[in-house]
Amino acid sequence: MIRLLLCACLPLAGLPAAAWAAGPVKNPDTYTYVTISDADSMDPAWAYDSASDLIILNVYDTLWTFDKGSTEKLVPLIATKIPSKENGLISPDGKTYTIPLRRGVKFHDGALMTPEDVRYSILRFMLLDRAAGPSSLLLEPLLGYPTTRDEADKILPHVWEDAQRAVTVRGDNLVLRLKRPYAPILSILATWAPVLSKQWAVAHKDWDGTEATWAKFNNSAKEQSPFFEREDGTGPFKLDRWDRRTQEFLLERFDGYWRAPAKIKYVVVKGVNEFGTRKLMLMAGDADAIYADRPLWSQLQGLPGVKIIDDLPTMENDPVVFFTFKVNTVGNSYTGSGKLDGDGIPPDFFADKDVRKGFAYAFDYKDFIGDVLHGKGTQATGSIPASMPGHNPNQRTYHLDLAKAAAHFKKAFGGQVWEKGFHFTIAYNSGNMPRETVCQIIKRNIEGLNPKFKIDVRSVEWPTFLDAQKDSKLPIFVLGWNADYPDPHNFAFPLLHSKGDYPPYQHFKDPEMDRIIEQANVETNPAKRKQLYYKLQALEYEEVPHLNLVDEVRYRTQRDWVKGWVNNPVFPDAPYGSYFYTLYKQ
Amino acid sequence: MLKFILKRLAFLPFVLFGVTALLFSCLQFLSPEMRAALYVKDPRQLSQLDAVIEKYGLRKPLPVQYGIWLKQVAHGDLGYSETAKMPVADAIRSFFPATFELTLVTFFPIMIVGVFFGVLSAVYRDKFIDHLTRFVAITGYSLPSFVLGLGLLMVFYGRLHWFPPGRYTLDTDMLVHSDAFRHWTGLLTLDCLLNRQWAAALDVAEHMVLPAATLLYISVALLLRITRSSMLEELTKDYVRTARAKGLPERVIIRKHALANALIPVVTLSSLLFIGLLGGVVITETVFDFPGIGRWGVQAAQQLDIPGVLGSTMLAAFLFVTANLISDILYAVVDPRIRVGN
Repeated sequence: MIRLLLCACLPLAGLPAAAWAAGPVKNPDTYTYVTISDADSMDPAWAYDSASDLIILNVYDTLWTFDKGSTEKLVPLIATKIPSKENGLISPDGKTYTIPLRRGVKFHDGALMTPEDVRYSILRFMLLDRAAGPSSLLLEPLLGYPTTRDEADKILPHVWEDAQRAVTVRGDNLVLRLKRPYAPILSILATWAPVLSKQWAVAHKDWDGTEATWAKFNNSAKEQSPFFEREDGTGPFKLDRWDRRTQEFLLERFDGYWRAPAKIKYVVVKGVNEFGTRKLMLMAGDADAIYADRPLWSQLQGLPGVKIIDDLPTMENDPVVFFTFKVNTVGNSYTGSGKLDGDGIPPDFFADKDVRKGFAYAFDYKDFIGDVLHGKGTQATGSIPASMPGHNPNQRTYHLDLAKAAAHFKKAFGGQVWEKGFHFTIAYNSGNMPRETVCQIIKRNIEGLNPKFKIDVRSVEWPTFLDAQKDSKLPIFVLGWNADYPDPHNFAFPLLHSKGDYPPYQHFKDPEMDRIIEQANVETNPAKRKQLYYKLQALEYEEVPHLNLVDEVRYRTQRDWVKGWVNNPVFPDAPYGSYFYTLYKQ
Repeated sequence: MLKFILKRLAFLPFVLFGVTALLFSCLQFLSPEMRAALYVKDPRQLSQLDAVIEKYGLRKPLPVQYGIWLKQVAHGDLGYSETAKMPVADAIRSFFPATFELTLVTFFPIMIVGVFFGVLSAVYRDKFIDHLTRFVAITGYSLPSFVLGLGLLMVFYGRLHWFPPGRYTLDTDMLVHSDAFRHWTGLLTLDCLLNRQWAAALDVAEHMVLPAATLLYISVALLLRITRSSMLEELTKDYVRTARAKGLPERVIIRKHALANALIPVVTLSSLLFIGLLGGVVITETVFDFPGIGRWGVQAAQQLDIPGVLGSTMLAAFLFVTANLISDILYAVVDPRIRVGN
């Protein structure tokens, strides 16, 4: 109450220069991470965005995980051993994996985990298979095809039998039978298909694990899942609640965890779009770590009690400018009139290669890296980032050349683009400053080419952005790709394969690229594999399905009392988000 | 007076009807396909777009469509807001109490400060107090709310660590979500008091100090100016001169005669102010991370979340009509000639 009264009479001029100096640890039992975006779903079989996966990987356990910051060495979680040919748990032909499972693991509702729960979780992860969801990560190695549906969106007839053959239980072991040798499978299972309770799922009217009902849950709407906002996992934290009103997650330590309980009792993950507010929360100690893009880096320097950890390697390609080759114009406010009449664009505007090349030559790559990223990064040479095998550092790239850009626009649509002009909207997810800047650079440079060229830039919340993108309503959208697992296939497939994560919604399909990606995925000879990826990147340069802008390094901003943080670039939302289990405050 | 109120109340449904008809007509600028997107929550449902258009009669004549729509609204079906990730009716129920509470704690100080200092400013024209209130009014007018809001946050939260953004701290968060906590009114401060959770009530109140102070400063300016000018006008009228000539004390002239007449424009303004606050104060709620209806409304508008936009606009229209009714009643209280005229 004294504060309330003091507030009314305190003259601003005479403020004590108290108190953003470092002090005692604030809220020592609670770790608070303040970020920008709200999650999409808590269902492990549905979620495929870093905001959702960050929470999921802290409330569920996978079979194993990466050891601290390593992207190669694995340590067991639900499994008791990491399969290898040496320990005999991988068959000599490389197709059968026997995975011994831990006993005595409890779910958050107190029930004991069984091998059937593990089998159910993996089957559910594959069979729910929502459009462009994460299921392809396991479908491809285990069943040999990336989706359970054909091009007419009908369920393939043999999926159930194939899945039954691929995932079985033998005693306390889970047995996985791969369609063909597939080296990245261990990395995939380190971050995907976490174990959930079959009993809880069935009790909450989710799939009951039978053949009769699985098709009903295939590609279902996110809100229908009982796991949309609740969970029953075995991870170190329980999801206490997801308050969609305040955009806040509250996680509570699971004291029945099979390992020692986490050191932190509560974790709060909160969405605050305004950077000024996030920064003040960090300075006041109410936030222990915040999301802050590279352009904000200079504003965070020298804050007492705040630590910046810089030059962190990433396994991502971000930002990427995607072109939609066939825009869905139904109920679409992004395409103007929907025609090439100067007030809009036709649905197939970006199907014209000259339009795409015009945009590629109109982007200022050097200035973006120098001014926006403070020089922290190099221009990307393809979809596969510099940290990956298969990356070609000598691949030709586009550069700012407005004369070439104009020349391509003059050729596009038989000269009609240049003559009539166009008008459409580019979207980026709210609060992401580099992506916003990319949009503004595109707008400035393209509009500078011809007064008839008009581009609007719109900020859109993350879940709505995802929905609009999934609906192919965005003519251009700026997003990125964070590795699901450390392998070049994880960039080539989602970004360039016609059944990957982005191309289906861009309506981009190149049979030659598809063939190379599929060939490289099963190629075990590193040299041959490298050549295939080099060829892929050359094709990518020619076709320009999207613009790769930068190979970036990241930084993390946290209070200096936060201890135990380890950077693992594979972890969702790294380096801002993290595995909370190792964290403590001191 | 009762007859007057009943007459006005009877008029209320017709006004709401007009407002909703206008709202609905505005929606006709969107194509049937775009309006059908109101009911299409999943991209895979797009193949059923024609069925949706048929089901909701989106190609039917406007009066027919309006009838169908009104029937749905009457059944509480306002659609699903993707921004809020919940049905619109739930979103309103979820976001409105926070805004209402902020409005209540802001509105009365605005009225007291605005009227009191407006009168003082008029009575002591060109004196120090007049200059001071005019300075406050001018700065309140000209200072953008996000600048003031962030400035207050930097000083009182960043430096002094007193008034954090958001709705409450984690302790209060857990308390209000516990089974033991009863939500009697939806107004969190009051509910905390009714649950005898004094510390939580203080915590919630502390979180409202800065947004309330920001709103007070930017909203009081107009009220100060209107009260001052209205009062100045009344003080120069013949009846005031007559009262002075009769030897009535100045205090009585100001309080009993001039002030009553000067309040009529103030009543109009205050009702508009109240609606403005209830409709949600977008920038203030965004800067202070306050989960109110304004923040949701603007997010819905930014993302073309049409059900969200429609729901929040409907609420604003309803509030406007209700506040107008209240101000009409207050007119009648303040000025009996209005009742007599009716």
